[in-house]
Amino acid sequence: MLKKRLIFTLLYNDGYFMLSRNFRLQKVGDLHWLKSNYNFSHISFSIDELIVLDVTRGERNANAFCESLKSLTEGCFVPIAAGGGVRTTEQARSLLRSGADKVVVNTPLFENETLIEELASEFGQQCVVGSVDIKRTLDGVYQVWSHYGSQCLPGSAAYRIEEITTKPVGEIYLNSMDRDGTGQGYDLNMLNLLPKVMPKPVILAGGVGNAIHLAEGLADPRVDAVATAHLFNFVGDGLKQARQSLIDRGVDLPVWDIQLLEQHLRSNKTAQCIPT
Amino acid sequence: MTIKSNLTVIDYGMGNIWSVLSALRYLGCDARVSSDPDVIVQSASLLLPGVGSFRKAMVALQEKGLDQAILEAVQTKESKILGICLGMQLMGSRGSEDGDMIGLGLIPNPVDKFNPQEIGTAKVPHIGFDLVHSSPESTLFRGLSRAADFYFVHSYRMLPGGLKGNVSTCVYGSDFVAAYEQDNIYATQFHPEKSQTNGLVLLKNFLAQEHDA
Repeated sequence: MLKKRLIFTLLYNDGYFMLSRNFRLQKVGDLHWLKSNYNFSHISFSIDELIVLDVTRGERNANAFCESLKSLTEGCFVPIAAGGGVRTTEQARSLLRSGADKVVVNTPLFENETLIEELASEFGQQCVVGSVDIKRTLDGVYQVWSHYGSQCLPGSAAYRIEEITTKPVGEIYLNSMDRDGTGQGYDLNMLNLLPKVMPKPVILAGGVGNAIHLAEGLADPRVDAVATAHLFNFVGDGLKQARQSLIDRGVDLPVWDIQLLEQHLRSNKTAQCIPT
Repeated sequence: MTIKSNLTVIDYGMGNIWSVLSALRYLGCDARVSSDPDVIVQSASLLLPGVGSFRKAMVALQEKGLDQAILEAVQTKESKILGICLGMQLMGSRGSEDGDMIGLGLIPNPVDKFNPQEIGTAKVPHIGFDLVHSSPESTLFRGLSRAADFYFVHSYRMLPGGLKGNVSTCVYGSDFVAAYEQDNIYATQFHPEKSQTNGLVLLKNFLAQEHDA
């Protein structure tokens, strides 16, 4: 029986990590800041997966993003997904060579089917995460938005999602633009947009403010993983405590002992390899 | 401090060796990366990683003469080997991904796709952390709980029937081989380098075996 997952999403913008609220970005700090203030390598022991997205709106420096990714993922022993602006197989390959195991795509899902097929055939379906940004209209109708939430796509969100499930993607990342960064909790009604039989894992994102919200998401049988991108809500030991409280509530998350690291791994470290 | 190790990570162009190296570095082990058969034959310890298709990978090993180098190192020189994910599958007798293909034969069982009759509505690939049941005699799982979580991503699996070595299993529909060890041969279907401290301990146990050699 597969375990459910707790995912942390980092938003990268031109050298800085960001907070997002309803898709408006606010600069928080650079890589050095993230490492020194958040002790990121330690935080990564409280999550089951890491997603790093380049959300730079203008021209991107893909090399700089790959370098940040390498630096971030050193000492991070969970699956890592990366994306943002991936438009070619070569771009995807660079991310995979910089520590990513999976590539996140959003806009190409709707306008570049060839790329999705190429990615799947080159790296395998399990390597492709389809990300979908969803917004509710004033009359309560859900619609999918592409191009960083700037273009509303015609057709119902349910239709769009069903269409994506037929594409060669390994899993689907459902993000609520309305809840994004608000801390009000997930929009669980979005899950009603999913087809009755959902053949791919679903990651729910957008709106987490605390551990109870994470638990609410994970309690829904349609949800395989929950994500949060809110740096400040999980500052210090926040993520560690949130994870523990989920496990205490009986959520079936994977278990490992961080103490093992200190006791077992650090002891006689130098004796592990024979000199040549 | 890192110490130069006599561990070679075999690079045959399939999948992400970056994260394996990152985990080894974390454990203080400065492994070398090579696609040179001579280097592989001379290594006391080998790590065979890999993500992708069985057939493509086996062809890549054969084209570079790495299959023979691995067999010579493991069978003649008794070098230790750890196969990870596709690396473990390649150590099997054969694989049926993209048509039947013979494997390295270091583990006598074949590798086939998850059978829908066994797994029912469960999704394939089998992706995520799942529980691995190991036996107390296992060296790889030393210091870990007998049921510990590891990260999997695969659509093909090896069944345990008839295997003589130490078998650890995971249940997905039916029992499949999650890890295997016999003498100098070690293999995991899961990714220890993606399995938090559980995986780091397992890799450390493998490295410690190198030390005892």
